[in-house]
Amino acid sequence: MENSTIKEQKSSGLIGWIDARFPFSSFITHHLKEYYAPKNLNFWYVFGAISLLVLVNQIVTGIWLAMYYTPTAKGAFASIEFIMRDVHFGWLIRYMHAVGASAFFVVVYLHMYRALMYGSYKRPRELLWLFGMVIYCIMLGEAFTGYVLPWGQMSYWASQVITSLFGAIPYIGHDITIFLRGDFNVSGVTLHRCFSLHVILFPLIFLALVAFHLVGLHKVGSNNPDGIEIRKDVDEKGVPKDGIPFHPYFTLKDLYWSVIFLIVFAAIIFFNPNFWGYFIEGANSVPANPIVTPAHIAPIWYMTPYYAILRAIPNKLGGAIFMAASIAFLFVLPWLDRSKVKSIRYKGKWSKWMLAIFVISFIGLGWLGLLPVDVWRLWLARLFTVGYFAFFVLMPFYTRWENTKPEPARVKFKKK
Amino acid sequence: MSKDQEIDEGRRKFLLGSTVAVGAIGVATAAVPFVGALLPSEAAKAAGAPVKVDISELKPGEQKTVIWRGKPIWIVRRNKEMLHSLGEDAELLRDPKSEEEQQPKYAQNEYRSRRPDILVLVGLCTHLGCVPSYRPEKGAVTTQWPGGFYCTCHGSKFDLAGRVFKGVPAPINMEVPPYKFLSDNEILIGSDKADIA
Amino acid sequence: MRKSVILIVSVMMLLPWSLAANAAENGVSISLEHISVNLHDTKAIRRGAKLYATYCMACHTMKYLRYNKLAQQEGVLYSKMPIDQKEWTYPTPPPDLTLIANVRGADWLYNYLHSFYQDSKSASGSNNLLVPNSSMPNILQGLQGTQVLVNGHVRGYSKPSFSKPHWFDRLKLESQGSMTPQQYNQATKDLVSFLVYASDPHRIQRQHIGYWVIVFLIILAALLFFLKKEYWRDIK
Repeated sequence: MENSTIKEQKSSGLIGWIDARFPFSSFITHHLKEYYAPKNLNFWYVFGAISLLVLVNQIVTGIWLAMYYTPTAKGAFASIEFIMRDVHFGWLIRYMHAVGASAFFVVVYLHMYRALMYGSYKRPRELLWLFGMVIYCIMLGEAFTGYVLPWGQMSYWASQVITSLFGAIPYIGHDITIFLRGDFNVSGVTLHRCFSLHVILFPLIFLALVAFHLVGLHKVGSNNPDGIEIRKDVDEKGVPKDGIPFHPYFTLKDLYWSVIFLIVFAAIIFFNPNFWGYFIEGANSVPANPIVTPAHIAPIWYMTPYYAILRAIPNKLGGAIFMAASIAFLFVLPWLDRSKVKSIRYKGKWSKWMLAIFVISFIGLGWLGLLPVDVWRLWLARLFTVGYFAFFVLMPFYTRWENTKPEPARVKFKKK
Repeated sequence: MSKDQEIDEGRRKFLLGSTVAVGAIGVATAAVPFVGALLPSEAAKAAGAPVKVDISELKPGEQKTVIWRGKPIWIVRRNKEMLHSLGEDAELLRDPKSEEEQQPKYAQNEYRSRRPDILVLVGLCTHLGCVPSYRPEKGAVTTQWPGGFYCTCHGSKFDLAGRVFKGVPAPINMEVPPYKFLSDNEILIGSDKADIA
Repeated sequence: MRKSVILIVSVMMLLPWSLAANAAENGVSISLEHISVNLHDTKAIRRGAKLYATYCMACHTMKYLRYNKLAQQEGVLYSKMPIDQKEWTYPTPPPDLTLIANVRGADWLYNYLHSFYQDSKSASGSNNLLVPNSSMPNILQGLQGTQVLVNGHVRGYSKPSFSKPHWFDRLKLESQGSMTPQQYNQATKDLVSFLVYASDPHRIQRQHIGYWVIVFLIILAALLFFLKKEYWRDIK
């Protein structure tokens, strides 16, 4: 590779002028050309880059939407319709943002599933995982506050339900609810603060955490489907034997898959932006009305697993606790997994089955959360809730006791 | 090295070049809706529609202000004395014959108007867009003040036809918007075409 | 990797089915007769807009279509809408209809307009199968004529346990209005086409742009595929 010679080259001209004052070229070298990623990274590793792409999409379209959006109870709904109809390409920008929100969760869920599969949360990547989890929580906050902004019926009643949830906290719950709403009921005041959080606070934290997530990743290096540390086996130059420069190999791979993602993304935006009511709900086409609740309210799909857990527990406080626990368990995952190996490839049968049960439970809960509740669905939701929590609660036991396969010395890589 | 592992630089260059070119076209095209969204919306265009003004109540020497496209539009019914003063100050003006394109063709005359008595102007100073004040009385601003418009922001001066005086920051005469008379006492501001009523 | 792609694709294909299950539970007491709305049929949309201006706009606003050229040309004018009317004789003010097709769907609207029948108990003299005790009067009665509710069934409807009846299974045309049933079907279909258009006036343009965007992205993806493959030949 010619790339290794770049370090010695002294750049001249503008780049040279900048490099004397700012580590521009060395940054590029350090994080792209001489950042060595395992050569066996597979398809599942593209979702990190794609989520960055979606993040850029959300920020750019968000800036444009904020130019025309009105964050008041009286003006919000009409301003969305104004964007959709009267602003040139306003419909495109709004659909890119709304579909982008759902796409973000699709991509991030796949990204997280990858981490679960290949043990990317395990030592030494615990902090990387924690940053990721905080990003996920901020994303949920960002999604919720954004969902409120169109101020349709679903927006209004979602904010009513979510803020009421805090009322489950003993003694101070009622006061917290009023504090969050800034009014005795959900009102324009609530809407206005959702706007502030959605466009300033959450994106700011989001960007900082994404930076930490990437800095953390480059400190410890990428995991890989075999779950072995490539940095332990280096050549005489200190380059991992199984590592290849991120640029051009993974930049091209990520770009290729990003464009594949964009094809699907564009197909939805241009041909089915409401996605049969899953991405933009029909009921949200009715302006917010504090005296009439829609017949069937459910959160948007990416939050329904937690909503289904909430409904499965026949107690307000208990439901809220289980819902909080379902996310809290993900935070402590690195310390629940006691396995000697990282990747599902070398873990035992128990791990494989439990991961399958977890995925089925999560999808099952998400599906049930979209539907109105009946007796059968309630018990099914309880079964899935047990499956969801069993994955975490039993993890310290099955990961320690099960038989694992030996990890290979070098990563498995088949030239295509 | 075996044959299939040799790097085909030509192929690489070609693929890289064409991908970058196609990608650049994509990025440029993607920018179109975003730039387009910054243009005035349909609502803004509708709000910019021509405005009808009734001037039957406007007495000689009086000024009236209406809003068109968010800008103040002045209508002044000039009296005989005012019209007379317009011919006297030519050497004090920067563009007495209105050669700069700051007015429709039908207003490129001595009075800068369709009808000598009725002046229609966009009431914004051509310096930095402040709203000048109407000072018709002689000597109101300086001792030689013939009557006109005075911008308090940076001291620009205009005569009663909106023509700029020499020695002030404003570079050109004030703008005359397109307009037409619907009747003797009714003006349509924003359009001079025959088909729009 | 191929396995995972198959998994994702199959999950995506399953999604619409679960929605179909969803729609069946919207509490509708009759089966909806399906109509297909063709948004390329501008003439139908224009006829619908005219009908809207004539029959609906006395009570229903269509605020967000204010700057739409097609609507303006057919008489759906903001200045003619009851925007500032505060007092209504109905218990709830008539809703704005710009987005009603998003809320209800084309089929529901079409069936609603067919489901009015004579009911002496109701204040307006009529009732509706889809919205029992609807406060909306049967405004299109002059066109459709009067329908009456038939106990049991008409037209040989006989399987109540397997499927819900359609509106035409429960209602019988007693006296025809100024339109024949075929004309009325067409007129209400036009009206629904206009409502669907109003809910999303950029749809045709959007799809048109969409084809070009996707063709472009496929070309870009193909180039990137070969470029990536070319570079990855380095990796042994």
